[in-house]
Amino acid sequence: MRLLLAEDDPDLSLRLKRYLGRQGFAVDAVHNGVDAEFNGRETPYDAIVLDLGLPQRPGLDVLANWRKAEVKTPVLILTARDSWQEKVQGLQQGADDYLTKPFQEEELLARLQALIRRNTGTVGQTLTVAGWVLDETTQSVSRDAQRWELTGVEFRLLRYCMLHPGRILSKTQLTEHVYEQDADKDSNVIEVYIKRLREKLGRDIITTRRGQGYVFGKPV
Amino acid sequence: MTSLRARLGLGLISSLALMIGLLWLTVGISVRLLMEEQLASRLAHDAEALLGGLSIDDAGHASLDSRRIQGIYQQPFSGHYFQIAIEDEVVRSRSLWDEVLPIPRVALGETRMDFITTGPQQRPLLLWTRGFRKHNRLVQIAVAEELEAMRAGMRDFHLRLAAWSLALLFMLLLIQRYIVVRSLRSVSAAADDVVRLERGEISALDERVPDEVRPLVAAINKLLQRQRQRLLRSREALGNLAHGIKTPLTVLQQLVSEKIPVDDVDTHAQLQRYGRQIKEQVDKSLRRARLAGDSLGTNHFDLRKDLPLLVDTLNRLHRDKSIVFQHTGEAATLPMEQQDGMELLGNLLDNAWKWARSSVRLTVEQGEEWQLLVEDDGPGIDAAGLQLLVQRGMRQDENIPGHGIGLSIVKSMVEELGGALQFQASQSLGGLQVCITFCNRT
Repeated sequence: MRLLLAEDDPDLSLRLKRYLGRQGFAVDAVHNGVDAEFNGRETPYDAIVLDLGLPQRPGLDVLANWRKAEVKTPVLILTARDSWQEKVQGLQQGADDYLTKPFQEEELLARLQALIRRNTGTVGQTLTVAGWVLDETTQSVSRDAQRWELTGVEFRLLRYCMLHPGRILSKTQLTEHVYEQDADKDSNVIEVYIKRLREKLGRDIITTRRGQGYVFGKPV
Repeated sequence: MTSLRARLGLGLISSLALMIGLLWLTVGISVRLLMEEQLASRLAHDAEALLGGLSIDDAGHASLDSRRIQGIYQQPFSGHYFQIAIEDEVVRSRSLWDEVLPIPRVALGETRMDFITTGPQQRPLLLWTRGFRKHNRLVQIAVAEELEAMRAGMRDFHLRLAAWSLALLFMLLLIQRYIVVRSLRSVSAAADDVVRLERGEISALDERVPDEVRPLVAAINKLLQRQRQRLLRSREALGNLAHGIKTPLTVLQQLVSEKIPVDDVDTHAQLQRYGRQIKEQVDKSLRRARLAGDSLGTNHFDLRKDLPLLVDTLNRLHRDKSIVFQHTGEAATLPMEQQDGMELLGNLLDNAWKWARSSVRLTVEQGEEWQLLVEDDGPGIDAAGLQLLVQRGMRQDENIPGHGIGLSIVKSMVEELGGALQFQASQSLGGLQVCITFCNRT
């Protein structure tokens, strides 16, 4: 799950980035409205956390510009402005949720997970696809009473695959959604992690389409 | 007298009445003079004829050629009389019968006109007298005519003139009334605008008014705009203040939960309490400062335009629920500024959405006073809870995370805006019913 975090306070931004990273998100942090708009438009994020009080370009304008450019990524507004007028403006401008400061990190996480699940059309606290059950809170996967712990990257990779079952996912696509912006984007690394998942969970969990990519579960 | 219309009307009526009255008087007098002059010239003419028919013998006896006398002078009391005095001798017309005209003495060549109020048969007369010379004697000829016929004609004429003058006055009054009403219409339109401004239906006055009123309207508009800008600026500043305080507060709270050992329960509790106090204090002050109150020149909350946006927002924020929302009541607006209304209804409806199972109903009625009813079909609150709610402005909804203290916000807002708040069980939906009433300001 790759996330854009647009928050101008450096401390809060850093803390959220670390926290969400631990929860299995690849987080790109930007600190002004112009960078936020560019990144949100150019990178296929799974969700965006947007502060309204951004320097250089107000958050509401950034949001409006994304929606005008047909960027459909779910957006959670994270702001200190808590009047209903601002909530209504934010959601009418195309945001999907609204969280006011101060907030608990757990609250943000729960909202983000709900947002992503809603966007990919899945429901529930855990993700169940083709008999596999992915638990987001413990970052583990289970099947028929058997349980496997996953590392951070393995978890992100498997979650992305399970959120898009039966679809061909290219290496580039997987890289984009699993890694952060400034991480080493050697697509061969994806192969390594696919191999590790197969070793842990069995060869059939992900099939390879030569020259196209990978498919989780039965093709649609 | 402060009514422009009354002042203009009165001024115009009195000047018109004066003018028409003067006209009536002038015309009346001129016509009377004209008729008298005409009468006098006829009498003079008759006198000339009498003089022509008069012959005096050497003995000084006068005789009148009866063929030269008009018939009207021969009928008794016909209203036309003459009397001729030659020194001591007097010749009278037959019409005089046995009456004598009181003719004044006139010198030779002198002419007199006299009004005699009691002529023959007590009727008023116009008497024309002149002194002539015939056969070296002074001959005074007096010719008289009764005024009754002329006066009747005059009365008739005056009545007709008065009727026409009145008709003219009435017509002119109608016209001036139309002109006054028409010219004052734009002024009364501006007055209507002020009422609509107070109701929050418009945010500025129409400046298409006469030149005399325009500076006033423009000045009001300028003031209103300044006030709107000030509200906008202060709300913007408050937003920045919230941002400036709450972001560090978030970091502080997260630092607390991270850096202080979990087993130090006391410190955790204390710091959390202080954090919450700061937040609540900031929220309370910001909310109060954001309220526009009943300032003029701001649009009111429009139930047709603003409510759908709010309901859509609530449905998005509570996506896990599917609430059937009903809006009833006649009122088209809330009696408060748009953002104030958004804040009040936002908190009220958000609370209802949170507790409702499937339906929420909003009723807004505008009668003697404004009444807002929000009902839900949630669990409601028991008697003890209701009591708490009324007394302390309560925190019943605090156990649902991520949301503020909706109803206590509503309570303080209603107090600020000068309304009354009541909680009870909803009769029709079974959950909580919040009832808010505001007095009609106008």
